[in-house]
Amino acid sequence: MTNKNYTGDDIVVTKNIDKIYPNGCHALKNVTTNIKRGEVVVIIGPSGSGKSTYLRTLNQLETITSGSIMVDGVTMYDEGTNINTLRENIGMVFQSFNLFPHLSVKENVMLAPLKVSNRSKVEVEEEAETLLTRVGLAEKINIYPTQLSGGQQQRVAIARALAMKPDVMLFDEPTSALDPEMVGEVLDVMKSLAAEGMTMVVVTHEMGFANEVADRVLFMEEGELLVDDIPENIFGTVANHPRLQKFLSNIL
Amino acid sequence: MNKKTNNLKWHLLFIFTIGLISAGVYVASQSINYKWQWHLVWPYIIDTSPMDIIAQGDATASVDAAGTLTLTYDNGDPDTVISNASQLLVSEGDFIYEGDQIARVDSVRSGLLLDGLYMTLKISVISLLFSIAIGLITALMRISANPFFKNLAILYIEIIRGTPLLVQIFIVYFFLGTVFDLDKFTAGVVALSVFTGAYVAEILRSGIQSISVGQMEAARSLGMTYPKAMIYVILPQAFRRTLPPMAGQLITLIKDSSLVSVISITDLTKAGREVVSGSFATFEVWFTVAVLYLLLTSTLSWVIQRIEKRLASND
Repeated sequence: MTNKNYTGDDIVVTKNIDKIYPNGCHALKNVTTNIKRGEVVVIIGPSGSGKSTYLRTLNQLETITSGSIMVDGVTMYDEGTNINTLRENIGMVFQSFNLFPHLSVKENVMLAPLKVSNRSKVEVEEEAETLLTRVGLAEKINIYPTQLSGGQQQRVAIARALAMKPDVMLFDEPTSALDPEMVGEVLDVMKSLAAEGMTMVVVTHEMGFANEVADRVLFMEEGELLVDDIPENIFGTVANHPRLQKFLSNIL
Repeated sequence: MNKKTNNLKWHLLFIFTIGLISAGVYVASQSINYKWQWHLVWPYIIDTSPMDIIAQGDATASVDAAGTLTLTYDNGDPDTVISNASQLLVSEGDFIYEGDQIARVDSVRSGLLLDGLYMTLKISVISLLFSIAIGLITALMRISANPFFKNLAILYIEIIRGTPLLVQIFIVYFFLGTVFDLDKFTAGVVALSVFTGAYVAEILRSGIQSISVGQMEAARSLGMTYPKAMIYVILPQAFRRTLPPMAGQLITLIKDSSLVSVISITDLTKAGREVVSGSFATFEVWFTVAVLYLLLTSTLSWVIQRIEKRLASND
């Protein structure tokens, strides 16, 4: 079902997404936006604004109440759409890393290519080593995740997601659980990914990263997508939206 | 330094207390004029007494110069040849009737208690494997969103945990055993596995549910199906986390297996009872039986501790 040969410009197309939890909480209100190939989109907003929920709908960790989502040209929730094969093309990095503690760093990276894509071990092992070298953890490949610092764990998590060669990478507050001195190493890896042309959707509070790397910044509040603009207009001298202005003045 | 001498004092007190208890047991048995006869127990563990050989039919005996006894049967069955007898009870030309003792042979064989120990080991190991399988399937059903599987698992667990094992053994043996024509060994294995399976299911369920939701989300977002995520990510962690309570449950299984003696499976407990009625060395036999159970349970406990240590070194 995955469309590895999909050549369209829009990797992610979301139209009029609504998400209402069973308890009545209206988490997403009519969110519509597209994410283009190679684009880095940063989502900002106060906590509880629905930005993580929106991100998690993109690989169906959260289901939606109404609207439509298309990733890689495949419409989610269509009959005949296999969410598992679709997810192979969508990398995800979590706030709390979620590495598999019973597997070594290398095995963490190799698990999905081996068990999901059924590829040969030699090839997968070689790629895992290359990926871990790329995120600066070549010496740690045989260590278990609990022996790593938070920043190192998050870099392994990025390598693990990249191992499936996804078309788009989702980052759910990747630096929020890190000690301040480790934020930089993770952001550096993300910057280099962006420079290589990876399509990225990043939920973060790192305004510096948003300003520097993002092609587009989305500002969400109370489930609504309020501002969708280039970073220059968002972080410019006068933000053009009162609620955005208030949010920025609170955190900057 | 001070700490060490302090500990030594407590170790000495421990040894002294154990000595006191042993002396107490001895004095208590003296007071009822009990004569300890440990040598009576030994033959029921390793039996070195000569084995009698019984004639299988009416026959004529012939003994050659080398002491080899040959029985030629009247009904034309193939001859019985005994060349290793330590003692012959018949002589050349004797007429033998079926069931007669004809010779004794030196032998070393397992006694009744050792046979019982083997039966207990066999029934425990087989039940252990089945109970883990049943427990795993039930645990997965129990956490499933499907009400059919979920309710089925809850019903099973509640029924098994709410009734005594002894009653379950009787029901399996007399009801299921009659309906499905089960032999007593199978009935014993079924009862023990089904009983232990319910407890293993609850242990595994709590283990699976103790793994953070993020693990499942991470596995699923890599494209794994639910079963693959379970097999490669969740269950290995859940098994490791549940090892200590699981060890307790499996040790309980070995001890509970003593209850199958009520459906006349000759396990260690039933063997003990038979040996008591044969030797009248009541105290010695039950102490021996207890030690043999302890041997099994402490071995299992040791093995699981080893596994735990090996897995812990990965963290």
